[in-house]
Amino acid sequence: MKNQLKVLRAMRNWSQADLGEHLDVSRQAVNAIETGKYDPSLPLAFKISRLFDLPIEEIFDDEFDGGDHV
Amino acid sequence: MTNLTEGTMFDVDEKTGSNSRRILWMTVCGFGIIMILACIAGFLSAHIAEGGGPLNIAGYAVLAALMSVTLALAFVIWKLFHQMKRNGEKVPRREKVYNRFMVGSFIFGGVTGLVLALTGSVDATVTSLISNNAMSPMLAIIMSVEIGVILPAMTFYMHKHAVDEQEEAAYRFAALIAIYAFWIIAPVWWLLWRGGMLPEVNGIALYFMTIFVALIVWFWKKYL
Repeated sequence: MKNQLKVLRAMRNWSQADLGEHLDVSRQAVNAIETGKYDPSLPLAFKISRLFDLPIEEIFDDEFDGGDHV
Repeated sequence: MTNLTEGTMFDVDEKTGSNSRRILWMTVCGFGIIMILACIAGFLSAHIAEGGGPLNIAGYAVLAALMSVTLALAFVIWKLFHQMKRNGEKVPRREKVYNRFMVGSFIFGGVTGLVLALTGSVDATVTSLISNNAMSPMLAIIMSVEIGVILPAMTFYMHKHAVDEQEEAAYRFAALIAIYAFWIIAPVWWLLWRGGMLPEVNGIALYFMTIFVALIVWFWKKYL
């Protein structure tokens, strides 16, 4: 899933380790989320949302095109 | 959606060099050291099994070569560790626990193997991973307690305090692929044995193949 995590992190001048510390996950986890190799769980997504004070849908983009399907 | 673009954005990780890459290489070197220590242990225990005594020149040369590679890998780990320290980058709490656990496991495993080989507690064939040869009851009990009691306790602690959800996912996927590998390799081996093309199915060899597949997949999902 595409996301803005790397940009949000860079805006705060945080390293992946800094963000990992805030989220209580490893650097590898942050890297995997940023590169779209791993989609975080809902609890972690909410944690990220609270940390950056942004709604989840502004951080993560599921590329839903608004078609008929939910 | 907020209009955020990466464009000229400054990324601390790109500026300082990624410690993740250093950790990856440290892990690779750690596995390398374990494998070479296993070779040294096997070499020495084979020598003891053949009657022991001082090594010949070729023996010393092999040992020196293996030790040199071990020391070189240890030096690389030390160098990378100091680069990480100089980098000044924070290490997340879970990662600290994890790193300590891994270093402790590498040292414990390496030292145990070497001590067993150097003291002649095991012969050359017992140290072989897929050997079915007899071993002393005491050694069998010690190793069974290590694998059956200590290892699960340590693993439980690690999963509780060090492993995050991304690594849990890596473990789950690795376990899935490993069980598929088992389901495929076991019957194929068994059929080829019945066809007279392979030796009889060895349960321990299958076990280690499954572990090896899980290890490769876990490493790929966690680090790459």
